[in-house]
Amino acid sequence: MDAATLVDYAKSLDCVHCGLCLQSCPTYRLTGRESSSPRGRVHLMRSVAEGEAPADADFAEEMEFCLLCRGCESVCPSGVQFGRMMETTRGALSEAVERPLVEQLSRSFGFATVLPSRAWLSFLAGLGRFAQQLGLPQLAGQLLGERGAALASMPTIPPANERALLPEHSPAEGPVTGEVAVLEGCVMPELFGRVNRATVRCLTAAGREVHCSRGATCCGSLHAHNGELDLARRLTRETVEAHEALEARVGTELPLVVNSAGCAAHLVAADHLFEHDADFAPRARAFARKVVDFSASLDGPALERLAARLSGGPARRVAWDDPCHLCHGQGVRDEPRRLIDLLPSVERVPLEDSEACCGSAGIYSVLRPDTAAQVFAPKREAFERSGADCLVTANPGCQLQWDAGLRRAGVTAPVLHIAELVAERLPDAPRSDGA
Amino acid sequence: MHHACAAELRAILGADGLVEDRSRRTAYECDGLAFERRLPDLVLLPRDTPEAAACMRVLRRHGVPVVPRGAGTGLTGGATPVAGGVVIGTARMRRVLELNVTDRFARVESGLVNADLTRACAPHGLFYAPDPSSQRACTIGGNVANNAGGPHCFRYGNTTRHVLGLVVVTHDGEVLDLSEPDLDPLGYDLVGLLVGSEGMFGLVTEVTLRLTPSPQRVETLLAIFPSLDAACDAVSDVIAQRLEPSALEILDKLTIEAVEASVFAAGYPASAEAVLLIEVEGSDVEVEVNANEIEAILAGRGALELRRAQTEAERARLWAARKGAYGAMGRVAPDLYVTDVVVPRTKLRDLVHRTTEICRERGLKIANVFHAGDGNLHPNISYDRRDADELARVLDAGTRIMEVCIAAGGTLSGEHGIGLEKQQQMRLYFSPEDLAAMELPRHVFDPEGRMNPGKTLPIRACMETRTKPLDEVTR
Repeated sequence: MDAATLVDYAKSLDCVHCGLCLQSCPTYRLTGRESSSPRGRVHLMRSVAEGEAPADADFAEEMEFCLLCRGCESVCPSGVQFGRMMETTRGALSEAVERPLVEQLSRSFGFATVLPSRAWLSFLAGLGRFAQQLGLPQLAGQLLGERGAALASMPTIPPANERALLPEHSPAEGPVTGEVAVLEGCVMPELFGRVNRATVRCLTAAGREVHCSRGATCCGSLHAHNGELDLARRLTRETVEAHEALEARVGTELPLVVNSAGCAAHLVAADHLFEHDADFAPRARAFARKVVDFSASLDGPALERLAARLSGGPARRVAWDDPCHLCHGQGVRDEPRRLIDLLPSVERVPLEDSEACCGSAGIYSVLRPDTAAQVFAPKREAFERSGADCLVTANPGCQLQWDAGLRRAGVTAPVLHIAELVAERLPDAPRSDGA
Repeated sequence: MHHACAAELRAILGADGLVEDRSRRTAYECDGLAFERRLPDLVLLPRDTPEAAACMRVLRRHGVPVVPRGAGTGLTGGATPVAGGVVIGTARMRRVLELNVTDRFARVESGLVNADLTRACAPHGLFYAPDPSSQRACTIGGNVANNAGGPHCFRYGNTTRHVLGLVVVTHDGEVLDLSEPDLDPLGYDLVGLLVGSEGMFGLVTEVTLRLTPSPQRVETLLAIFPSLDAACDAVSDVIAQRLEPSALEILDKLTIEAVEASVFAAGYPASAEAVLLIEVEGSDVEVEVNANEIEAILAGRGALELRRAQTEAERARLWAARKGAYGAMGRVAPDLYVTDVVVPRTKLRDLVHRTTEICRERGLKIANVFHAGDGNLHPNISYDRRDADELARVLDAGTRIMEVCIAAGGTLSGEHGIGLEKQQQMRLYFSPEDLAAMELPRHVFDPEGRMNPGKTLPIRACMETRTKPLDEVTR
């Protein structure tokens, strides 16, 4: 492996070794091993770049063991850009590391074939729904032991009518407070169509004219986190171009409202992927500035309008869990709390360590289910201590992780996206948990 | 490592209790003093005292040097395995074993993070007073080893004033239980001897600590000064007037610029030459009277602006920024050398001048952020360890700073310990007879010279440090 391309050496020099990041790191807290801490990983990277340590399989394993939650960035006084360093290193590793053939093929199928394609995504969702209706995953769980158990704990795929795509245009209710675009996402419509619809419902109730582009599917965020940088670049570029085309069609600049924290954190920094592409970089930069998280997009008159339309809805004591890529990745902390506190018949209770990772971390929970479950354990305990009867978050991965984790522990509390919590308080809204 | 020693240790700790491979061991080659590095032969992560003791017995049998390590946030190289051997990390020993709210003490494992103790006892109206800047990461065990301080130690005293008892695993694996919170132990006060012994007398695995009642009211004052001199004079005045704030901290311009550029930005004015951060605690009346008197002194010394933190959140932000100052200096250069010297508080102004001059003469970039109330200076010198010439100038400046502080009636260390950094400079302060006397208790606790060898006491001959790699020792 070539040490020069493996590490962003200049960025590794930003770390002055103070160690304030240690306790923010889920893998350090889990193992007590400093090589699994942010400072340790940066030290390893620097040592590799300086030729003092080998870039061997152990090095690669420490890099991939990281959840990339970026919790360390929120406590780093020196401003180490840990997430970007890790994406660079994983990018180089994914080219260099020899993976077993099965893993290689399934990675390539997932990243290059399925995620970028709406057709593949809906086909697989339909197939999965059919299999689940037949009870095949449970059967596999019994037949295949541990491997099958993963299948059995897969999220329930909703029926076809819930997997319908968003309309290309949803008119504002009442006077218009602004025009926005929403990102439909890749797995969102297949697993969380209801969240997408709730998002649009909240936005139109707040007086937004909502547009949705069909020009792109996956934004490339999962690819960038997992070292598939070329694919990430291609998909991010398609997302930028689709948004530009949408703006051209509508005839105005549009903020892009994103309800998935992971995607938004990736897109607000989209320009970094194109540092070496002088032609495209300015377009990516202009696009990145327009990306905004759902809760942060609602302010001023729009928020007042929304508040005026809220009424009723089920009484809930909610705990808000900050998605890592919302609080650490985008610095959004107050806006979701402000929104929740507006809601009638909702009481927000504090959740300890709400900024700590739940273990979902994109596809990490699929690749390393055991670690993900261990990282989740203290989150569940904190939720149970909080006295809440509903967990609210704002990222599909976190929502799946919380839902599966609570169900595994026999906790029945619903897990909602913040848009769902708001939308169920709008006129004629169904309960979000279907109860 | 494929030899018998590692196998025995693996049998005690399980595979995930050992860090064996070359890549992962790299993370243990230094602490905050990153220009001194040496790879340990093996790292052990025991989960409790019995496991630690079992490991120590195996290591004794194989004659392996042992270096205790908390979170590796020390600044003097105390946790760096200069003589090779095994690092024993306490990161998996972090339970609060007993919280006695009525008698106001806690028994904790030594790997507990300092801030987590206050977090555990805060609901009972108690806190753990010593608050080093690294308190969000550093461990109680490391605090004990270095007799750590922190801003609020001005009022409450360093770690040793808060340690009531210890459990220590000795060099041969015996568990010495001194954990009873006795105020006046029968016989020798061994606990007093062990605090600050920098891992040379044994591996501390459990600590009994005094908990302090949270004050009724806390007021945080901020005074902005046109010069570092004026801020230093104000501190000397406050102390001369017998006023007792709980903390008295000075931050200079470069420090403020660095923290205000960081995630810990707290609204320190970037235009200020120096800022004095003062905390006053106690009953309502006490705080009000003290704060007013202090503010009068500050105004008299030419403070341009006086502020009080308006909310608990603002107070927390001001302190987080102060405590992130070391890390924030990473924005200036890749490395930071944090000097830790103590001077008489009446001479603060002169010595701050002198240290600044010493650095300027050597072309070094210096920032000052220090516990002014204790006369505990931290000239922070930014440098790049890849530049050998610059590093040499940094070390030279460090020594010179220690010399002038000692000459002015000060001392070598306020809270960071000696470690590797100030080992040779111990001679500036102590006579050969003193140093020889210090060898005696060390010999009692560690007759084979295996506990954190090569630290604290100056080395007279190279034979004193064991440098044989573990592979050879145990083959």
